Amino acid sequence: MKCFLNNKMSIIVIMTITIASVSALFVGCTASQKITTKSGAQLWAENCQRCHNTPSPSTFSHDQWVTIGMHMQSRALLTDAEREKIVAFLKQ
Amino acid sequence: MFSKKHTYAFLLAGIAFLILQGSVIAQQTTVVDSALLQRVDALEQHAADRKPGEDYFMVAGLTTFGFASHTATTNGVKTKSNSIVDGDNYEFSPMLLWRHGQKFLMEFEPSFAGGQLGVNWADISYFATPGVIIRAGYLVLPFGSYSKRLAAGWINKLATDPEGVADQPPLTDYAVEVEGGFQTGTMKWNYDVAIANGMQLNPDGTIQNAGLAPTNNNKNYCGRIGWLPFSNSSLELGLSGMTGKLGDPGSSFQSAKSAMWAVDLNFIQKLSPFQLNIKGQYEVIDINQTDYINPIDSSNYSFSNHSTAGYIMAALRPSFVQNKVLKNLELAARYGNYQTPTNSLWGMKDNSFAIGLNYWISWRTVLHLTYESIRSESTISTNLGGTPGTTTTTNSVYLQFSIQL
Repeated sequence: MKCFLNNKMSIIVIMTITIASVSALFVGCTASQKITTKSGAQLWAENCQRCHNTPSPSTFSHDQWVTIGMHMQSRALLTDAEREKIVAFLKQ
Repeated sequence: MFSKKHTYAFLLAGIAFLILQGSVIAQQTTVVDSALLQRVDALEQHAADRKPGEDYFMVAGLTTFGFASHTATTNGVKTKSNSIVDGDNYEFSPMLLWRHGQKFLMEFEPSFAGGQLGVNWADISYFATPGVIIRAGYLVLPFGSYSKRLAAGWINKLATDPEGVADQPPLTDYAVEVEGGFQTGTMKWNYDVAIANGMQLNPDGTIQNAGLAPTNNNKNYCGRIGWLPFSNSSLELGLSGMTGKLGDPGSSFQSAKSAMWAVDLNFIQKLSPFQLNIKGQYEVIDINQTDYINPIDSSNYSFSNHSTAGYIMAALRPSFVQNKVLKNLELAARYGNYQTPTNSLWGMKDNSFAIGLNYWISWRTVLHLTYESIRSESTISTNLGGTPGTTTTTNSVYLQFSIQL
């Protein structure tokens, strides 16, 4: 840790976090909603793209979506409500 | 022309013909309906006989392959090489998912990569209660976000991994893990903690996983906490830590201990017509041992066992334009920095810059065209036969295809 603040990389990371946080303050606060009020489609759009493109519901069968939902919940650390709503949307 | 008799006879004949026709059609309809009913009955019986059961097994997975061309320059001397299938970044990894009801999930991902057959993970998860998942087996430890979430070729925005971040410290181990996500107000949090068999310190100062049969009681403790301050999940900040003893009791390394920290960032934002994505991670690895054994001549040598690795990546995609070709293009750039211990046998300071153009064939299929330049400065001490300050610049071009199945 002793070199943490001396390193060029750390400065870049800290600056980026600051910029992103400030940006998000302006953009993210405009639509504060609890998960319970969101649709599966909205949660699908918001959460999947955190790591990868949003998947098409037609990609997998119902049983497969249930299985993949469990796999992805443990990767992205979704809440249970998010997983249930997203999987319900993808099964449609 | 026609008498009344003829007219009546004609009308009667017409009516009789219509009645006869109707009767024939009715008979035909009855026959068709009967066949349909029998078919429906058979299908209903078939559906009733079919028991979906509690278990479900499926195969997913990914593969990545491509072409790489490298030009390395050291002290003005150039060497060139190229490789079909891009040896450093080739991967074929089927993933087996086996679900038992809604509570258990087994995951197994064998992988052929780097010319070797290995295992990325083999674990079982128990979805205990809302917000609590318990996992055990051979798994990716929670340290930073890159290795666990972003390293797959079809997810990565560039053809290569950021140096150091993907493989230091070694993050796949035999472990027990507890993790989950929850919401407080409009914010979200997630946590991920694990106890692993841990790492061992090699005589030369490098570290490796203890594997299945460690020679001591040491364990590795690690965890990550993630914070998503906004309800649209557009920003996630992560903080990770990992520590553990590294040496056997009675050995010269018995007091050796690791202290590792990492911060990570993920930010997604729509800037119409673009989608902006910023990702980053920075990690520090400290080991309190300073005296080691030179594997070349078994002499003692000392260095401060301190390493850092980090990257920051930005990607911009015109996702919201109408043009079908343009909306599938994505521009990505990444800066990376990786420093291994100065005066160690593997001491170096690397700065890398990568820029790439991606074409998304589908949501899970991508063609990467990436240019990467790595400037590596040696920090190996002269006592060890090194030439500190010697720099090697490696410029590489990758054309890579990656798909998730």
